[in-house]
Amino acid sequence: MKKNNVIKWTFLLAAIGVLTLPAQALAGEVYKLGLSLAITGPTSDAGNPYSKGVEDYFNFVNDTKMLGDDKIECTIRDDQYKNDITKRNFEDFLDQGIVFYLNYSTGSTLALKNDFEEEQIPVLPASFHAGNLVDSNYIFLPIASYSAQMIGLTEYVSKNHKGGKPKVAMFIHPSAFGRGPVEDVKKAVAAGLDVEIVEVVEHGKDLDNTAMLKRLSSKGVQYVLSHTVQSPVATMLKDASSLGLVATSFGEEGKITFLGAHYTGGNDLVALAGDSAENFYWTTSYIVTSEPGEGTDLQLALAKKYNRDEKAANSHNYANGMMVAQVATEVIRRAKSKGKEITKETLYEELLGMNGDNAFSPKTTVGDVTFSETDHAGVDTLQLYVVKNSTFMSEGSPFVPEYTDKIK
Amino acid sequence: MSYFFQLVVSGIVVGSIYALSALGFVLIYKSSRVLNIAHGQIIAAGAFITYALTVWVGIPIYLSFGMSMIATFFLAMSVERIFLRRLIGEPIISVIMVTIGLMSILDGLIYLTPFGTENFSFPPYLPTTPITIGGVSISWTQLVGVIITFSMIAGFSWFFKKSTIGISMRAVSDDQMASMAIGISVPRVFGLAWAMAGLSAAAAGGIIGNITGLNFDTLHAFGIVVFPVVILGGLDSIQGAVVAGIIMGLIQQFASGYLDGNWGLNGTGEVMPYIILLIILLFKPHGLFGIHEIERV
Repeated sequence: MKKNNVIKWTFLLAAIGVLTLPAQALAGEVYKLGLSLAITGPTSDAGNPYSKGVEDYFNFVNDTKMLGDDKIECTIRDDQYKNDITKRNFEDFLDQGIVFYLNYSTGSTLALKNDFEEEQIPVLPASFHAGNLVDSNYIFLPIASYSAQMIGLTEYVSKNHKGGKPKVAMFIHPSAFGRGPVEDVKKAVAAGLDVEIVEVVEHGKDLDNTAMLKRLSSKGVQYVLSHTVQSPVATMLKDASSLGLVATSFGEEGKITFLGAHYTGGNDLVALAGDSAENFYWTTSYIVTSEPGEGTDLQLALAKKYNRDEKAANSHNYANGMMVAQVATEVIRRAKSKGKEITKETLYEELLGMNGDNAFSPKTTVGDVTFSETDHAGVDTLQLYVVKNSTFMSEGSPFVPEYTDKIK
Repeated sequence: MSYFFQLVVSGIVVGSIYALSALGFVLIYKSSRVLNIAHGQIIAAGAFITYALTVWVGIPIYLSFGMSMIATFFLAMSVERIFLRRLIGEPIISVIMVTIGLMSILDGLIYLTPFGTENFSFPPYLPTTPITIGGVSISWTQLVGVIITFSMIAGFSWFFKKSTIGISMRAVSDDQMASMAIGISVPRVFGLAWAMAGLSAAAAGGIIGNITGLNFDTLHAFGIVVFPVVILGGLDSIQGAVVAGIIMGLIQQFASGYLDGNWGLNGTGEVMPYIILLIILLFKPHGLFGIHEIERV
């Protein structure tokens, strides 16, 4: 009797196993990814829409079966812009078995650089700091570095300034993030870029920039290139506006033309500075929703599908998050189509092979994403925008800064 | 010379806003000897309430500014009633720790609203052309900010010197036991001090929000930025907060105007106030107007 029971149970379990196997196979693979970023705390005005972009795009990938029956499971965790929490999140993600990691800040990317090397895991941060790439094999910048952006702006000033050598000042965040591009711009100037850097100003939590603006004006500074976040730029623009120092056209004599890199601009700047943001020049590799196109249509449709509000839908940081999710999905898709097992090693190989005919066009950027052994900066192309009637509008065509290569 | 006077005007503008922001610390410390670490969050809440009433509800900004002051008056009073009333008589460090917890709670609550992670600015309601006299400019926003600041400071000074409740509050600050013995309700005084601090915080938030735009990080940081002002003024002196605020504002502007960009110096406007603070505290450890209490054992 006992023996019969054992046989019965064995057959039953075997039958269950046989029946569930195809179901498991049909369910497909689950690829685990992790994103740690500031959804609350400092810079959460950028981190919040960024996380929504990542979340929505991966949901879109799963909902539309872009990877067939396989799914992407991306765990998104708030680190409040604190490096220790980022590290803890990253270690938890590793325990979960992630194959690709999305990071956020410059500070945490630099702090975890050795961990990324040890784990040999490909990483796409939201920080475009060129220093992320020094002594690193596994970090990839989604778009042109802050250095390239600032050099690009300086080149634009040099090419479009009327009169003698243009005098510029740099207005930067007091951190590794802010200081990063300063030396590179100075190197570009030393290599022949025809501008005079009069001063590099590290801002604080200033309520009033009158002293600084008057000082710069008295030294003949006509261009202020900013590399920081929107809030201090907004305060500076408001002060410059009330002092009557803002140029109404590029390079207007006796006035100051304000320009800035990726995190200084976008709709948040207009929200903070109001009318004082008029004629602010801004560069990024992303296409903004005020310039309709295939990528922005996709961005707005995605935001609508997942019930995001207008602010998130139109944020360039939503596009930013969406784009890193696009790149991660693309390398998984490519590895899968080649019949490779999806691991951090194979995804790393696919990233390195993303160049030439295999360059990837996410449509949300002004150029293609290209990576190789020697090039870890994704989109090299930049677009200049200028605020007209509270809207960022394209100024000229997309360009690649010339001096970025000259100073290597 | 107009450059010098421009720096003076800007220094006074910034300094008076520092003084108004510092006032909340002073009012609470003056009556209860507690440093409210969550003051920056109340400043931010005041600014956001003003914005919400103005833009979302459609109330004219002058009215919504006043209404937000009333709202934060009751908000701060409720905070005191719910969280701090039961800590009367407990060690001061426990109360300060509660205000740190309160800071986290308010942070969390604000992050639940769009104000936590989005940026806004007040609709323009003042002329955008600045007032310029002899090459010295001041924007209407700054001028209105200074007028409101000095009116409020004058009002609070009068209140503490002349009104019965104000004098009761000073008495509680001096000696809680003796105040209770003569029939002053110490809990009521504490509640009122918090409420008045809330009121001044909303005013400060509204003014700072008009100048910088509404960004939570920027606004709540002012709770910490004004700390040197509070210390320099002497923690419990309204007059001290005003003088220290203006000193700090002027030092910032002069350092930024005359030192930065010369001799390889940069960011002195941020550092100099702290250096001056340290030097002054070496000679006046209780701040410029702080009371040096002598205890007889």
